[in-house]
Amino acid sequence: MPPSLPKERRGPSVPSHPTETPNAAGWTEEVLPTRLTAIRESERKVLARLAALGYGEDHCFAVRLAFEEALINAMKHGNRMDPSRQVRLAYRVSPERVEIRVADEGAGFRPDCVPDPTVDENLQRPCGRGVMLIRSYMDEVIYSANGTEVRMVKYRANPVRGFPESGRRC
Amino acid sequence: MKVQVRQEGSCTIVSIQGSADVGASPALRDAFLRAVDAGATRIVCDLSKTDFICSDALGVLITAYLKAHGRGGFVRLANPQKRLRELLATTRLDHLFDVFPDVACALKDA
Repeated sequence: MPPSLPKERRGPSVPSHPTETPNAAGWTEEVLPTRLTAIRESERKVLARLAALGYGEDHCFAVRLAFEEALINAMKHGNRMDPSRQVRLAYRVSPERVEIRVADEGAGFRPDCVPDPTVDENLQRPCGRGVMLIRSYMDEVIYSANGTEVRMVKYRANPVRGFPESGRRC
Repeated sequence: MKVQVRQEGSCTIVSIQGSADVGASPALRDAFLRAVDAGATRIVCDLSKTDFICSDALGVLITAYLKAHGRGGFVRLANPQKRLRELLATTRLDHLFDVFPDVACALKDA
């Protein structure tokens, strides 16, 4: 069973007052409808923060991928595309790290029970790669005890797996 | 994202320009389905100008692979750039798809 998120590291759990600009603790909070097309606008804002702080293209790619996968999972598998359900998003971008939290209103799941999509017998499955990609591209990934919320961190100092730092900026 | 589909001999070339993100994957799915429904079974996906692929879009490629493979054909990937090559390695989809350095190589012996 994955550990529950430690309270001191949780940040805002439920963004009851979504903010377009970061709050005092640096978190920007949004509530998204369960609609895949809603992901792009939030993604654009997160990537703009990374670009403003001079993050490299490899880090931007990694964060973009994990961000998108977490929101796809929340909407498709968590909320089962039920338009009456919402996704709570919070993110904080600093010069040292990018922190993202995504929570859905679904029944939850056990991330450790998701079949490994990289084994031969699962390679032909069209779906089921989101959790693996998030874990591969982010430095810290913690799911809440019931699996409805994920917190993930990418550190600027850590190279993205497999990428020698190109030095190019996004 | 822009998707261009063209015929080269017996092969169908699907070129993806830009980001194959979750917002773009329905258009990608449509393009591949149209090609497959039109009888394409030998498909080369040109990734030379693709800068991003989400898992949803990867699923589209796999679905196309299954349809083409089921009819005795293939889906080959051509010229994925560094981050996409890493993504294919991370997912081990480079063990499912044949990956070529460019479209010309992918068309050889096709």
